[in-house]
Amino acid sequence: MTERPLSAPGIHGERTPMRDLSGEEVDFCIVGAGAAGGVLGAKLAEKGFAVVLLDAGPHWDPTRDFVSDEVGSRQLFWTDERISGGRDPVELGSNNSGRGVGGSTVHYSMIAMRAHSEDFRRRTLEGDIPGAELRDWPITFDDLEPYYEEVERDLRIAGPTFYPWGHRRHRYPQREHELNASARVLVYGCTALGIPAAPAPVATLSAPHDDRPPCVYRGFCNYGCTTNAKSSVLVTYIPRAIAAGAEVRPGCMAAQITHDGRGQASGVLYFRGGDPSTLHRQRARNVVVCGYAIETPRLLLNSSSSMFSDGLANSSGLVGKCFMVHSGHQVFGRFDERINQYKAPPGLALTEHFNRTMPDANFVCGYAIEVVGPHPVDFASRVTTARGLWGTDLRRLMMDYNYWSGVGMVGEVMPQRRNEVRLHPVERDQYGLPVPHILFTYHENDRRLIAHAIDRMEEIMDSAGGVDIWSADRTAHLLGTCRMGLTRDDSVVDADCRTHDVPNLFICDGSVFPTSTGVNPSLTIEAIAARTADRIGRSSG
Amino acid sequence: MAGGSARDKDAIPSTRYPGYDVLAKWRGPDWDAQTRMVVRRRVEDVPRIRFLTEEEARLLEAVSARIVPQPDRVAQARVPIVAWIDEKLHHDWRDGYRYEELPPLRETWRLGLSGINESAQLLHARQFVSLESLTQDEVLARLQRGDAPGETWTRLSATRFFRDVLCLTVVKTYYAHPSAWSEIGYSGPSSPRGHVRNWAGGVDPWDAPEERE
Repeated sequence: MTERPLSAPGIHGERTPMRDLSGEEVDFCIVGAGAAGGVLGAKLAEKGFAVVLLDAGPHWDPTRDFVSDEVGSRQLFWTDERISGGRDPVELGSNNSGRGVGGSTVHYSMIAMRAHSEDFRRRTLEGDIPGAELRDWPITFDDLEPYYEEVERDLRIAGPTFYPWGHRRHRYPQREHELNASARVLVYGCTALGIPAAPAPVATLSAPHDDRPPCVYRGFCNYGCTTNAKSSVLVTYIPRAIAAGAEVRPGCMAAQITHDGRGQASGVLYFRGGDPSTLHRQRARNVVVCGYAIETPRLLLNSSSSMFSDGLANSSGLVGKCFMVHSGHQVFGRFDERINQYKAPPGLALTEHFNRTMPDANFVCGYAIEVVGPHPVDFASRVTTARGLWGTDLRRLMMDYNYWSGVGMVGEVMPQRRNEVRLHPVERDQYGLPVPHILFTYHENDRRLIAHAIDRMEEIMDSAGGVDIWSADRTAHLLGTCRMGLTRDDSVVDADCRTHDVPNLFICDGSVFPTSTGVNPSLTIEAIAARTADRIGRSSG
Repeated sequence: MAGGSARDKDAIPSTRYPGYDVLAKWRGPDWDAQTRMVVRRRVEDVPRIRFLTEEEARLLEAVSARIVPQPDRVAQARVPIVAWIDEKLHHDWRDGYRYEELPPLRETWRLGLSGINESAQLLHARQFVSLESLTQDEVLARLQRGDAPGETWTRLSATRFFRDVLCLTVVKTYYAHPSAWSEIGYSGPSSPRGHVRNWAGGVDPWDAPEERE
């Protein structure tokens, strides 16, 4: 080989040397270098395994590739065609769909919440909800707690001294951020109603750490952080993975997981650099799929063979089933004072007061309420789609842009069989692969929960002094489709994220959630990945 | 005509931030090189029409002028809309999702635009572009309500097209432009400096100053 040695973008504009493992049979080939893939890649490489991470998108250089512009950041999102149907079709391609190394942690709102012990026992606690497939998780909060601690430490989460909900916990690694105006709106509104509220634990630095500076409150967190204050996987676990000898290979779209005659995974076939004419092969002793709740089941279904005619790891028939989002409805109000909702991270305060099954409510489970801070393109999009405003009415409302403030919910959604990711029978993408067809319809419980949350959010905005209050439909996060469980006929993977059908094939991302929880999922995804690395790093390779 | 009617002029309030131009900060510590590159192109390199036919472009121009009317600007100062939608269609840049009742992106736009003209013909026996702006608004309002006449709308959901394709794309294009940022007092790009006075009523020296009566 006379080629130049491989390198990857560092986080300060430098290049980092990187091993080239393309010709080897690696211990782990990880598909998707996002929240879960990055954590797994770092931890497995640090345990001495040969690890390759494939990602469909670029390896971002945070000093050059991120712009302070909404439309100019389009490249950060997964914009390949996906067909969205059902009675409540999900909007994709923006907040919920990352692309590139770091995945959606490059543009997430950084809200770093833990799920609660009740979240792992929903079937036991709520019983049988007709039409819903509530399940207990095969792991408990206690199983995950040390891993929550680990990723909170690794990401230097900045949070309040006292967090009012959930298990008692140690101090967050860094102090909370000063609340911006929108966060104060939430806190004032809640306080006036007797609802406890708190600064949000967020994955952006409030003090220097290593060679990363504290947050300067640019407010473009949803479009990539140019200063590296944001603890995305791109600037935390990915450099660790590379330093420990992993190869991160960008621009690689996985087409199929291959297997041998005994039904063991043998590697991944992928397209590289957007070239649909050549399939490349990465041989691997273990394959881990970390593509999030649409691309993960899509890859498994696209990997069907004579031995696995319904798709890989799909003997349960559950691959792609029980697709979930979070209801993410938002409520906005106009204020007397200038709010400038685009300043500082968008979600600096929250309340989990309603994140529980409430005895007097006509629904089970609950939701968090958090601050949001859309920039003008995003805000105007909500105004026109939710309020149906256009023409002079739209321009008039937008003249007061700086005076609007908003909150949004993260609502638990029931797992349902009818909500699924499947392969479209005819439509193909640029590589000739069947595009995903996503079906989503809210459960009656979801609708009641949403109505309750919108009422509460309107009350909060009202008591904070907001006027002209309105709400917008929205969703956030992609979950389910390969749930974890105890038995092979009722789940796709076991508690260690190992598929029941193929012992050296793992799935690790939001797909494995049996239930959605009422909190932002990134920290739980990362904690599961950290745990999975320890579990499979002991027995595989 | 494309600028909107006299009625619009009265209806659009003037900016709270007269004299504020977000581009004046171009060389300051809020605009890094990559952001300047992206925004420079948006302001200076408006692409020529490559996908839409001349007639479609004229029609979309008239429609856009109703979705986001700009009677408060002279023709050369108006935020270009059609050119950027055409560029998206020319490159076939998808959005990452498509409602299952809609055909692929380009087809949706072609069909939707022809449907607007079909409705205009059926309702007023004229092309959309030659209608008075108030009448144009009525045609569009019927799309929004889902009761616009025309065979097209049996094949394409009028409400879906109007809300989630037409309005959404036009509105996003308008509010991506620095002229729109200036008028609403948006601080715009913020790298590397960021923001300091983040409390209610807080205005950084580099933010849009406000003239209040």
